[in-house]
Amino acid sequence: MSLTGSPLISMLKTRMHWHQTRQKLLAENVSNADTPGFQPKDLKVPTFAPSGAVTNASLVALRTDPSHLAGASDRAGEDPRNARRFEITPSGNAVSLEDEMLKVAQNQSDYQLAASLYQKSLSMLRTAVGRRG
Amino acid sequence: MDFLKTISVAASGLKAQSGRMRVIAENIANADSTADKPGVDPYRRKVPSFDRHFDRDLEANVVAMGRVALDRSAFRTRFEPGHPAADAKGEVKLPNVNSLVETMDMREAQRSYEANLNLISATRRMISRTLEILR
Repeated sequence: MSLTGSPLISMLKTRMHWHQTRQKLLAENVSNADTPGFQPKDLKVPTFAPSGAVTNASLVALRTDPSHLAGASDRAGEDPRNARRFEITPSGNAVSLEDEMLKVAQNQSDYQLAASLYQKSLSMLRTAVGRRG
Repeated sequence: MDFLKTISVAASGLKAQSGRMRVIAENIANADSTADKPGVDPYRRKVPSFDRHFDRDLEANVVAMGRVALDRSAFRTRFEPGHPAADAKGEVKLPNVNSLVETMDMREAQRSYEANLNLISATRRMISRTLEILR
């Protein structure tokens, strides 16, 4: 079993990458909280196969010509449905700051949980190779 | 690193909201700026706008202050014949600034600014937690 081949560690790594990307998307939502016509976005939650591979990774069709039809979302993994529309202001902005703050706090604590588990599994590996960690 | 990009996106929000605060401060400061002779318009309220664009370096939708437009609504008037800017009927034109609207706008800008700050501090905690893995 290689270090990166361990399903637990690779799953945690994917999870931490997911939280990073989600944090960036939440920053976009918050910074555009007063932009007219802006719709908030969120990410799809990854699901894992027993081997540690992500089962619902989405493929995005690239537009090679500007006359091609654009899809609903231009970036991979985005899920506009997951971002709940609480209220829409008369200017067409659908960002609810309370909702976004809740998501930021949740994202932060979930990330810390994943980071702690990652640290624990690394120290387990260290114990296995005979060093106290 | 994605976290540094997150902070940059939130910083664009901070910058846009502080620009909005500047325009609001201008409006409130000039709420009573009349003209000094008849026939001249007093201060006209300014309306800030936000402009969303896709930043290729950050790979994110960032926000920036857009054009500052002028409010086209009618001026308030007050009967004050002795005023240097009074017209033949003794009416003085006052700026079309409503201090209640400006205060509401200011509160909204303040809340959005705080939300962006909150996001930056949450991201910083996530970065320091990542660095703790190395210890």
